[in-house]
Amino acid sequence: MVTIAPKETQDLNQMEDEAFRAHVRSWIEANCPAELRNPPKRLHWEENKPWYFKLAEKGWLCPGWPRQFGGLGLAPAKQIIFTEEVERFGCARTNDHGIVMVGPLLINHGTPEQQLEFLPKILNGEHVWCQGYSEPNAGSDLAALRTEAVLDGDEYVVNGQKIWTTLASDANWCFLLVRTDKNAKKQEGISFLLVDMATPGITVKPIINLEYHDEFCEVFFDNVRVPAKNLVGTPNRGWDMAKALLSFERIYLGSPRLSAYAFTRLRQLAERMGVWEDAAFQDTYGRLRLDLEDLKSLYGTFVDKLRRGETLGADVSMLKVFQTELFQRVTDTMLEIAGENAGLLEPMEGNRNLNPTGLYIQARPATIYGGSNEIQRNILSKNVLGLPG
Amino acid sequence: MSQALDDRSESIRMIRDSAGAVAPPGGETKRVRALRFVAPGFSRDVFAEMGALGWIGLAVAEDAGGAGLGLSEAVALTEEMGAGLAPEPLIPAMLSARLLAAADDKALLAPLLEGAQVVLTAWQEKADSIAVPGTGDAPRVFIPMAAGADAFVLPVREGNRIALVSLPAAGADVVLEKTMDGGSVGTLRADLARASRVADDIGAVLEQAIDEAALATAGHMLGLMEKAFELTLSYLKTRQQFGRIIGTFQALQHRAADLKIHIALTRAAVESAAAVLDSGASGAVRQAAVSKAKARAAESGLLVLRQCIQLHGGIGYTDEYDVGLYLRRGMVIANQYGSATLHRRRFMALAPEDVE
Repeated sequence: MVTIAPKETQDLNQMEDEAFRAHVRSWIEANCPAELRNPPKRLHWEENKPWYFKLAEKGWLCPGWPRQFGGLGLAPAKQIIFTEEVERFGCARTNDHGIVMVGPLLINHGTPEQQLEFLPKILNGEHVWCQGYSEPNAGSDLAALRTEAVLDGDEYVVNGQKIWTTLASDANWCFLLVRTDKNAKKQEGISFLLVDMATPGITVKPIINLEYHDEFCEVFFDNVRVPAKNLVGTPNRGWDMAKALLSFERIYLGSPRLSAYAFTRLRQLAERMGVWEDAAFQDTYGRLRLDLEDLKSLYGTFVDKLRRGETLGADVSMLKVFQTELFQRVTDTMLEIAGENAGLLEPMEGNRNLNPTGLYIQARPATIYGGSNEIQRNILSKNVLGLPG
Repeated sequence: MSQALDDRSESIRMIRDSAGAVAPPGGETKRVRALRFVAPGFSRDVFAEMGALGWIGLAVAEDAGGAGLGLSEAVALTEEMGAGLAPEPLIPAMLSARLLAAADDKALLAPLLEGAQVVLTAWQEKADSIAVPGTGDAPRVFIPMAAGADAFVLPVREGNRIALVSLPAAGADVVLEKTMDGGSVGTLRADLARASRVADDIGAVLEQAIDEAALATAGHMLGLMEKAFELTLSYLKTRQQFGRIIGTFQALQHRAADLKIHIALTRAAVESAAAVLDSGASGAVRQAAVSKAKARAAESGLLVLRQCIQLHGGIGYTDEYDVGLYLRRGMVIANQYGSATLHRRRFMALAPEDVE
């Protein structure tokens, strides 16, 4: 039985909810650096790691991991409060793939050796992970992935290409979906491999996106040799494990935080542009405001399910669709009232809070990543409404 | 979870079960169709049954003869009534019961709670308004199902107070207009010389009671949306064109997914507002919660109902096919107790800028 001593010695589940909230809030307020709150774009490891290490040092890096594995072991209701407080301060997202993906993967499916080797290095920030899922011909249809791993002695030999790999240029490890059986049904020949990015044969090429930012990368694998012991779980069962990990992403992408943040900036922009009192603007603003409030109510119903310890069904896709499209509608409105500022590359007047074009561009991929909204609607129509294939 | 919450979900479940007595779960519409345009447009027997089941006094305190339940139960009930297209004026009756209970009246309240007498509140003086000026000689308009009233109660302003007076329907000057769903609304020109005084001042509860009726109406709309969408989904799963089930077409699947999102938003808005009211919230918080729910229900409601017609194609445009019944009812109730625009405006005027 693996045991990794948690840094936080107190069992925070014993606290009353409101006392716990106050405790978390005051600690974040005192410890999350001001420049890492509400950053205008996704930050690189070099920029966000001070916050990662603050959390690590406190023992609060992995609120959802069991205490036995060095996490906080928070009950669902407490995890929700924790997330709400992180979102309240707009704390920068760290390179968190190790925390939210690799950790739960290994805790559920890893061998004791894998757990002991990798979990402590996530907890201390030594390993920075990236996620090797999408490929040029396997985007929405992820199960069509073709990057292959062929067993050769006690090593897998990996060949292929990944794309849209978030912050791969920061990462020293990658968790990779690879095809290990070309003859099986496409979902049934996929495995999970953990790959050291320093292995010979790996090339990372950043992609400049519409934000002029290099958040995403292409990753090429050319005869990359990976120890067979780095395969997680059962060979060829990787698809099921990957799907189970997505439940985090689906509720995360439905959180109102992005829409709510853009909405506060909409008001500031309207005041600056002198249209705040305009009746037509007020009508649009009121509609967006009520959409945001109803999103919060709907999000609350899913959060309540988590709080009761239930697992979320496919209907959580409703949140992703509505949230991301609301985020876009808010930023569409910002652009519409911004006049010629709608074409500026930098925030207006050097003020980070008056950044209509930055938010407009950031809102574009929200309906594409994490399963495009078209895919989410397919999921809703088939798995929730029961419409035929 | 706490015992209180368990009790609440249990009482909501019981209310929903009991609703089957009036609104059959199978969605049978024969009763509803037979009542259309036949005065008074609803069944007095069913109204009496609603009284016997304790629904008219659902949110009236037990010591006043009611069931002492809350808005969470009330919206569950009105949702079931919407799904069953029940034409009986349950929400207007609940509003009257609330006022009469606050007035500490027994003479009118007891037969109303039993469902033996239909008592309707004539409060409205103009279209799309939730304000109650209480102008003594103003015609009172858009009284739902006025054709079936036994008595009216009227708020009448007297200085800083709003008195409540009652008037028998027999002999009253009521002009009826037919509504799209086969019912009626009435305009009452009250002869106050014939009226009897019920209470000196009901000003404190009047606004709250109308807000509760607005929220209950949002619940009714939610029921219409759910049922019309259910019909539409089953149509999408059976209708064939071009040699395929039409529900396999992605354009229709995606539209159905969008309608489902609107229904989910409406449910979240209505049920969270009911919880706000049941928690004892007052003032702006209470009013904002109601406006949020009513604005959503009115707007998303009509959107879903008319899209349900579209997704059916030609058959949806026939009176014979049931889906149109839901749109017709939706048109009648969408703006009752305030349109989407009215409630959006009120929400914006009330709501604290609490977005972070």
